[in-house]
Amino acid sequence: MTMSEVKVIVRRNRPGTKGAEFCKWPEEPFEEMDSTLAVQQWIQQTIRRDPSNITAILTPPETQDEEVWKYEHLRQFCMELNGLAVKLQSECFPETCNQMTATEQWIFLCAAHKSPKECPAIDYTRHTLDGAACLLNSNKYFPSRVSIRESSLGKLGSVCRRVYRIFSHAYFHHKTLFDDFEASSHLCRRFTSFVMKYNLMSRDNLIVPNMEDGATDAPPAVTETASTPTTTTTTTKVTPVTGNTTESEA
Amino acid sequence: MRYPGNEEGGTAGSAGGTGNGPGGNKEDSKPRYSIPGILHFIQHEWARFEMERASWELERAELQARIAFLQGERKGQENLKNDLVRRIKMLEYALKQERAKYHKLKFGTDPSNELGKPPDLEPEPPELQTAAGSDEPISSQVSWRQGRQLLRQYLQEIGYTDTIIDVRSNRVRSLLGLEAPEQQAQQENGGSNSENKRPVAEQPRRVPKKSLAEAMMMEAESAVMANFDFLSGGMDVDDDDDMADDLDDVDDDIKQSKRKSRGIADEVDAETEEVLNEFSFLGAEEASAADKTDEWSYSGARADDVSLGELAQLTVNNDADMNMDVTLDKEAFRKTWMAKYTLRSHFDSVRALAFHPVEPVLITASEDHTLKMWNLQKTVSAKKNASLDVEPLYTFRQHSGPVMCLVMSSSGEHVYSASLDGTINAWKVPDCNIDPYDSYDPSILVRTMNDHTDAVHGLSLHSQKSHLLSCSADGTVRLWDPTSKSPLIDTFSSPNDGIPTAVDFVRDEPSHMAVAYNSQVVIYDLESKKQIVRFECDSIGAVNRVVCHPTLSLTVTAHDDRHIRFWDNSTGKMLHAMVAHLDAVTSLALDPHGLYLLSGSHDCSVRVWNVESKQCLQEMTAHRKKFDEAIHDVAFHPSKPFIASAGADGLAKVYV
Repeated sequence: MTMSEVKVIVRRNRPGTKGAEFCKWPEEPFEEMDSTLAVQQWIQQTIRRDPSNITAILTPPETQDEEVWKYEHLRQFCMELNGLAVKLQSECFPETCNQMTATEQWIFLCAAHKSPKECPAIDYTRHTLDGAACLLNSNKYFPSRVSIRESSLGKLGSVCRRVYRIFSHAYFHHKTLFDDFEASSHLCRRFTSFVMKYNLMSRDNLIVPNMEDGATDAPPAVTETASTPTTTTTTTKVTPVTGNTTESEA
Repeated sequence: MRYPGNEEGGTAGSAGGTGNGPGGNKEDSKPRYSIPGILHFIQHEWARFEMERASWELERAELQARIAFLQGERKGQENLKNDLVRRIKMLEYALKQERAKYHKLKFGTDPSNELGKPPDLEPEPPELQTAAGSDEPISSQVSWRQGRQLLRQYLQEIGYTDTIIDVRSNRVRSLLGLEAPEQQAQQENGGSNSENKRPVAEQPRRVPKKSLAEAMMMEAESAVMANFDFLSGGMDVDDDDDMADDLDDVDDDIKQSKRKSRGIADEVDAETEEVLNEFSFLGAEEASAADKTDEWSYSGARADDVSLGELAQLTVNNDADMNMDVTLDKEAFRKTWMAKYTLRSHFDSVRALAFHPVEPVLITASEDHTLKMWNLQKTVSAKKNASLDVEPLYTFRQHSGPVMCLVMSSSGEHVYSASLDGTINAWKVPDCNIDPYDSYDPSILVRTMNDHTDAVHGLSLHSQKSHLLSCSADGTVRLWDPTSKSPLIDTFSSPNDGIPTAVDFVRDEPSHMAVAYNSQVVIYDLESKKQIVRFECDSIGAVNRVVCHPTLSLTVTAHDDRHIRFWDNSTGKMLHAMVAHLDAVTSLALDPHGLYLLSGSHDCSVRVWNVESKQCLQEMTAHRKKFDEAIHDVAFHPSKPFIASAGADGLAKVYV
C-alpha cells in the first residue's frame, strides 16, 4: 500500500485467474481511486477484506458525500441479494409460498405490475430485485453515480423497505437457507445496521430478530410506513390483522 | 536575492511532518545556506526529477506505440499503392493491345510500332497511323505538342489541377466500392466540365486543344455514367456544347443530371466501363478517347499521347496524394458506428455479451452473478439524450459467482454461461417479447455442468454441432455436448503450458480448436487430441482472447502487451502484429464475413479494424474504468448492423 508500489500494481482479473485469486489485489487507498466508481470500489474492497466487519464496511471515507455512499451501498445490497434469490429459487415454490409473507400479519402485494398483484413469494423476490435494478440504474432517477438528486433520495427508502421483505420471508419461511446465507454473507446484519444508521427504515419494520447489536426481539406488532407514492414500484399491503399502522420513522 | 532552497526546504519540511520545520523557520529570518535547507532542497529537486522522468517515460511509451501503429498503417498504404500502380500498367497494356486490334480491323493496317510494346510508363511516340480521312499530317506532331503545352498552361490557370484531383479522388472512391455521394460527384464533374469547356468556347480554332478538352469532358461524363448506370442515349456533340455553355453555372444540378442521362452510353463498351470504374483519371480518359468513332479517332490518339505522358507523372509524383485520398475518402465515406443504446441494469462489471442470431436481442453477463436479456426494440427514450435506454426483459439467476463468459447458439434457442465458481449453465432463451415481470419459470435453466473445479474464463460454441468448449483456471479445456445425457465428452490439459486463458473452435476446420495459454497458442485436433500446430512466437504477451476467422485459415489473438496478432493456422507463422491499443487488449470479435475485426481494451476504447488492410477504421471511447479494468467484451450481431461492448462500469453499449 505504499506510494511506490501503487505505480506498478495493475488491479485486473486476467483470463486464467483462479477463483480464489479473483480480485485478490493489494488494496487501494480511497484517496488514490480516481475512478468515478471509487465508492463502489471502496465498498467492495472493504467487504472483501472481511464481510463480517460491518462497522468498517459502513464507515464512509472522510469527505465522502453521504447520499452517494447510501446509494452505492444499496446497489451492493441488491446485488448480493441475488445470492439469496438464487438459493430461494431452489426451495421457495409457488405451491408452498403462494404469497409473499413474513409473519402472518401482512401479505405483500407485488407492485411491479400495473395493478399490484399477489405474486408468489419467489416471483415477488425476483420482481422486486429486477425492479430495484431498473430503478437504481434508471437514467431518470439516478443519472450519475457521483451525485444524487435530492428528488431521487426518497427512492432509496422505498427500495430498502421492499428488499427487506426478502430477508424477512427467507427468515420466517426458509430458516435453514437464510442461516446458511447469513453465515457467509452477513448481509442481513449489515443491511439492518445500514438502514438503522441512515434512518432508511423504521425500526418497527425490522422484524428479523437478533440482527442488530442490542436488537429487539421480534416486535409484537408489525407496523408499516405508508407507501411512498411511486408509480412503478410501490408495494402495498393488505389490511393488518392486528395493530395499527403508524408513521414511526425517526 | 533569496536562496530558493529556503522556500523549498520550508515546504518539504512541513510536508514531511518531521522536526525540520523549525530549521526552515530559522532560515527565513537569516537567509543563509544551512545543511537542512540544502538537504531539503536536494530532496525536493530529486523527487521532482523522478516524477518528471516517470512522466517522460510514460510519454515515450505512448509515442512509441503511436509510431508503431502509424508505421503499420503506412505499410498498408504502400501495399495498396503498389497494387494500384501494377494494375494501371496492366490495363494500359491491355488497352493498347485492344486499340491496335481495333485499328487493324478497321483499316487493315498493323500499327506495328505500338503492338506488343510492354507497358512502360514513358511517353510513347504518338500514333501516326491515324485515319486516312484525317487531314492532320505527321508533322503536326510538333505543333500539336505546342498546343498541348499551351492548353496545359491554360488549364492550370483556370484551376484544372484542382479539378483533376477531385475527379481522381472520386475515382479512387468508386474503386474502393464506397458509395460516393451523388451530389458531390455531380458537382465535381459539373465543375470540371464547365471549366474545361470554357477554353473550347473561347478558342474554337485550336483543334488539338479542343479535342483534349472534349476527351476530358467525355471522361467526366463517362465517370458519371459509370457511377449512375445511365446507359442510354447517344453522343450529341452540339447538344453537349450547348449544355456545356449552360454549365457555366456550376450549381445547376438539374441541367447536369439531364446531360448526364444523355451520356455517351453506346461508346462506352463493357471494357471501357470497367476501366472507368476501376482506374485512374487518365487511364479512363485514354479509354474513352480510344473508343470514339472515326470522327474522334485522331484526337483520341492525341489524348492518349498526352495521357501517357501525364500518367507517368501522376503515377510517380502523386503517389502520396493518391494515398492521402484513399485515407481521406475512407474516413469520410465509411460507415461510422455511433453509440445508440445504453444497457444499464447491472450492478457490477459486465463481463460478456452475445447477440441473438437474427433478432435485435442480446444477452449480457455480469460480475453481479446475473445474465440479462435485452430487446433493442423495447426502448425507453431518455430525454435530451441521443442514446436510448433499454430495460432488461429477463434476468437469469442461478450462478453464485461472477459470470465470466457467455455464448449463444446459432439457432438462438440456447445460451451458455460460465462463472467464476466453475459451473457452466445452459439456458433456454426466453421469448424476446416476454413480460419482464412474468412468473418464474424454472425450466429456463436447462442444465448445469459443474465438472470444472475452478473459474471458467472462456467458452466457444461449434457453429453446426451443439458442441461447446470451455477453458478453466483448473488447467483444463473441456469439450461438451450440452444436449446429451452425460454432457462431458473430453478433457484436455497441457501441464507444460499451464492454465488455458482462451479457446475457440477453428472455423474452417471444425474438428480443430485453438487454445491460448499464457503466452502460447496451440491448435489441437479434437478427435485425436494431438497437437496440430503451435504458433511460433518468441516473447509475446499473455493472450487474453483468441478468435478464429469464419472462412480463412486465420487466427487472431489479443494480448496483454497491447498487441493484436494474426496467425496462419496451417503454418503457425505470425502474419502480422500490431500495437492496437494503449493498454491490454481484452476482447476481439470478427464480423460474420470476417472482413472487420472489433477489439476492446482496458484503455476504455473499442476499435474497428479492416482485417485485410489491418487499418484502424474507427475508435470509440466507450466505458469508464473500475480499478484497472475497462472493457471486457465486444460483439458483432450475426445478421444485423449492431456492435456492442461490455464495460467494467456495469454498462453495455450497442452501436449502430
